Amino acid sequence: MSERVAVDLKVNGTTHRVSVPAMRTLMAVLRDDLGLTGTKNACDQGVCGSCTVLIDGAPARACLALAVALPGIAITTVEGLAQGDTLSPVQQAFLDAGAIQCGFCMPGMIIQATALLAENKRPSEDDIRHSISGNLCRCSGYTKVIEAISLAASRLTP
Amino acid sequence: MTETRFHAPERLEDAISLLSADEDARPLAGGQTLVAMLNADLLSPSQIISLHRIKALQGIERRADGSLRIGAMTTHAVLARSGDLRGAHRLLGEAAGRIGHEAIRNRGTIGGAVAHADPSADYPPVLVALEAVIEAVGPKGKRVIPAAEFFQGFLTTALNLGEIVSAIILPPSPAEACTHYEKFARVEGDFATLSVAVALWGGGVRIALGSVGPVPVRSAEAEAKLFAGQLSDGAIKEASAKLVAASDPIDDVRGSADYRRLLIPRLVKQAIRTAQAKDAR
Amino acid sequence: MNAPGAPIGLSLPRLEAGEKAIGTALYTGDMVLPGMLHGAIVQSPHAHARILGYDTSKALAVPGVRAVITGDDIEFRYMGLVVKDETAIAKGKVRYIGEPVAAVAAIDAETARRAAQLIEIRYQPLPAVTTIEEALHDGAPMLHEDFAKYAKIYDAPVGRGNLLAHSIATQGDPAKGFAMADVVVEETYTIAAQYHAYMEPCAALAAFDPSGKVTVWSSTQSIFRTQANLHECLGLPMTKIRCIAPRVGGGFGGKSEATVEPIAVLLAKKGRAPVRLVLSRNQDMTAMRTRHPGWIRLKTGATKDGRLVARDCELWFDGGAYADDSPAVMNFALYFVRGPYEIPNVHCEGYAVYTNRMRAGAFRGFGNPQMTFATESQMDALAAKLRLDPIELRIKNALPNGARWFGGQAVTESTLVEALETARTRAGWDKPMPPAPPGKRRGRGVAAMAHSSAFLSTGAIVRLQNDGTIAVQVGAVDIGQGSDTALSQMAASAFQLPVEQINLATPDTDSAPYNSGTNASRVTFMVGKAVGEAAFKARDQIIEHAAAMLGVKRDEVSLAPGGRVVVTGGSRHNAEVSFADVAARSIWAVGGPVIGSSAVMASHAMDQGHTKMSGWLSFEAVGIYTFGAQIVEVEIDEVTGAVEVTRAVCVHDVGRAINPCATVGQIEGGFAQGMGYGLCEEMVFEDGRLANPSFMDYKIPSALEVPKTIECVLIEKPEASHPFGARGIGEPPLVGAAAAIANAVADAIGKPLTRLPLTPERVLRALLAQ
Repeated sequence: MSERVAVDLKVNGTTHRVSVPAMRTLMAVLRDDLGLTGTKNACDQGVCGSCTVLIDGAPARACLALAVALPGIAITTVEGLAQGDTLSPVQQAFLDAGAIQCGFCMPGMIIQATALLAENKRPSEDDIRHSISGNLCRCSGYTKVIEAISLAASRLTP
Repeated sequence: MTETRFHAPERLEDAISLLSADEDARPLAGGQTLVAMLNADLLSPSQIISLHRIKALQGIERRADGSLRIGAMTTHAVLARSGDLRGAHRLLGEAAGRIGHEAIRNRGTIGGAVAHADPSADYPPVLVALEAVIEAVGPKGKRVIPAAEFFQGFLTTALNLGEIVSAIILPPSPAEACTHYEKFARVEGDFATLSVAVALWGGGVRIALGSVGPVPVRSAEAEAKLFAGQLSDGAIKEASAKLVAASDPIDDVRGSADYRRLLIPRLVKQAIRTAQAKDAR
Repeated sequence: MNAPGAPIGLSLPRLEAGEKAIGTALYTGDMVLPGMLHGAIVQSPHAHARILGYDTSKALAVPGVRAVITGDDIEFRYMGLVVKDETAIAKGKVRYIGEPVAAVAAIDAETARRAAQLIEIRYQPLPAVTTIEEALHDGAPMLHEDFAKYAKIYDAPVGRGNLLAHSIATQGDPAKGFAMADVVVEETYTIAAQYHAYMEPCAALAAFDPSGKVTVWSSTQSIFRTQANLHECLGLPMTKIRCIAPRVGGGFGGKSEATVEPIAVLLAKKGRAPVRLVLSRNQDMTAMRTRHPGWIRLKTGATKDGRLVARDCELWFDGGAYADDSPAVMNFALYFVRGPYEIPNVHCEGYAVYTNRMRAGAFRGFGNPQMTFATESQMDALAAKLRLDPIELRIKNALPNGARWFGGQAVTESTLVEALETARTRAGWDKPMPPAPPGKRRGRGVAAMAHSSAFLSTGAIVRLQNDGTIAVQVGAVDIGQGSDTALSQMAASAFQLPVEQINLATPDTDSAPYNSGTNASRVTFMVGKAVGEAAFKARDQIIEHAAAMLGVKRDEVSLAPGGRVVVTGGSRHNAEVSFADVAARSIWAVGGPVIGSSAVMASHAMDQGHTKMSGWLSFEAVGIYTFGAQIVEVEIDEVTGAVEVTRAVCVHDVGRAINPCATVGQIEGGFAQGMGYGLCEEMVFEDGRLANPSFMDYKIPSALEVPKTIECVLIEKPEASHPFGARGIGEPPLVGAAAAIANAVADAIGKPLTRLPLTPERVLRALLAQ
């Protein structure tokens, strides 16, 4: 149990005033209070990367952040990447490369890849592997994920 | 059942008074360990005192004497990229870049990691090797504790009730020093099975091991042998024997104690040779 | 069957890929119902204990708690696939650390979790047996005192303590076979427990409707096994149980049987509200299932020219606290005792044992990866002794077309030699590897494998909808492997429609025909077959209607792309009707709605005349056999013993790849999971307690550990018994991976390792022992 605290969370460009228990993680608030269930809980220890979101533009584990400590800070979840019905270039590349299998790790993977490409326009395969090494996937051998990120990079920076 | 309360004071003194008034309160730095422990029901603090708004805990400052003061809330990501780390101090940046994964490094802080004192973590052997000093602030004010005395056991430090780590101070380093942080882990991002922190310069050899005892392992005898033997294979062998003798590893899922002892001479040599090769470049 | 341009063989994006990429895909844990409560479980701290009583008062006093359930809320009703030995939640005793023993439903997850910690359970600890050896000691404590009384579907050992299953099979005359052998090799292989590590932990959402019927959404591989298990353990008639699978985040065998559904239903009933129960990773790792650990003693005799003449095998599997699929997994392992080879004289005995550890159950490969590690390691040991090339030895003994499998089933098409030859060429096997850099050793290894695809039964219903599109109902769950897309492609092909005009219904026991489950590499093969048969029946009805509408004979019309039936030839040449026209006629005027249905069963019989078997499950059918070969290259760090897989060549017979991209995805992923099994994954138990119950401590490969190149080569020889030529490929890529890696490591260090996983520590010790 913990006391409820009101906090203004700025998620995907919209500010939401929520009153949540102080100990509730950002992941739980996104999923249970804001209904943004794209952010997945697969280990709650920060190891698997399924809950990766952008906090102030940098990838972070939503399961290891307390929502009340993030008032007014820009948070981007996987739901915030597409523009209306148009997928983001990274999302589209994941589709085109056939990188999506069960899909459970994908929101975190796509967020991580988005952050990588924001910083490194032409990542090498090695850069990509290092970048997503904290995003576990059990369906793939990561091959198509890496292809997808390369594809997105080449489309973003022809 | 009591409710956990949350505070995010802006003043360091307020954080200290909250923490010193309640032994079940916990300071929150980057949260990468604390929140994981909360999620696993390993802790149920009465209060969480977030340190993220306290300016005094932030920033890296080079002081007149060449020492470096690293605010406790500095993230691993900042350290891994920092241009402020020169000479032997680079060792700290190398270790910072090997902690967990990018998303962890973006939030986790050096103060939090040091205060947690996990013997398999990356900073402790580096801080011991660099003879860093831990600056702590508590109800009785500020004090400094040499890293070798700060780490007292498994998850145990010299911090008293109400004290927090406020900064890490690295003593001045010769610019010509070469370093290597050798980390052997099962997979990238895991805690080390064994880590070796090495700094070498004309007048000195510093070496400390992580994950082979409840606290980092450093041996004056070992360093003396390395120095006297000018880092020859023979000297490394003798020094390694001293380090093995000083170690006290455990069996865990990352490797047996025997395996860790077996690795010590092998990785010490590799770390020294790699550091030298960096120097040559 | 497949018209040009129809979508068989196209790498279409997954139908649901878009929703998964934008984060709107709904998995069980994402679903919310009005008034929904959150569940939390309490787990046993004891490996073995009698439950003396419960005090739930403190938990019930917590504001927001709506229900607490314990063993007192249920009868002694048992569920299970082959032995009915499990209750919905522990009752009377607990048999492993981590076993669910009570549960709470509350208004939010935190409240439920906190309240769960306040439930007090009084136990009388009992002596525990946490290894096979302990379990079989004279006077060892029994896990299941009522074992003899449990319902079973095989001839189980009775009065033999914790022995759960003992199967024997003999083919030919093993004694005579070994007498003929010029060389004999014998070794014991030890295998560890692997965790499925599906990314989505087990989850269920249960809601009762006013009529008393419960609907259960869950992360499952089989809606029908879920329904059957709920029926058995809760005593509800199936008329009152509806099971649905929304999106599922992986399964790999671990979600084949009940997971948390029975507990969610009990909570929903008592809490009088929908209840969602989602396990934490730690709970999933300690309460659910593992791959079977154990050991295999294997002995093989060969003539000096390299003909395998005899084999003897003794296999022991630790089944854990409940039978689950253990007897079946053990039997299935024994089916692969010969590997994909002709060995005329074989004797094998398999044992599965109850121990006070979490259950071992189905896991991708179903016993075959363990056996293949042993058999393929031994092939290399034999090759070394005979001074034969490992691939030559394998080709020499490859099972030919038309030969009988162990157990007596005929193998119609063996592509083993082709797979081995292809892998050899692709990997450059005959050329020496480039020398290793200083401080490293290099090695290369091969493994051949066979696996069955198919098993058990399934059905399909295919309906023409009013607008001319097609609805397909199957009970198969897409757990991430891509079957929804593959099945849609097959249905689309049958009707020459684009896949967008196929409505593949969500798996729902209220509307789908029976399907045993998403396992045994069977969905594309078995369910695809059912979809094909049902689609062709519906298609025939469409053609019949169309001919009548166009006033021509049946054989004067044919299907045209885009949902049309066209007259070919004669005076009405090119006259056509649309599927929508046909639908209108069938619904409003003549004949009734167009519906095709099918029921199929795997149909390859065992033959006691070929292999004499006792104590086996009476599987009359284990499907068709599929072959493959993998070659891997490794680099070993001489300083630490760490093994890096630098390259993998995976050649697999897939029949016809319905969706090549998805097929390759299965192969890459299967190899990576097999690599984890071979190199780093081991659930470490200390006195029955899992020492590494988190992703922090149990490591699966990341993008930095998998090989930079996983080269997948598909052998495509359409399978004659399948309407679209497909074979299953879900499991084969994993089956041989650990064996191929072990052989490559042996090649690198000059010494085979016989224990999985090949941790750096084990490899370094082997290196230093030389």
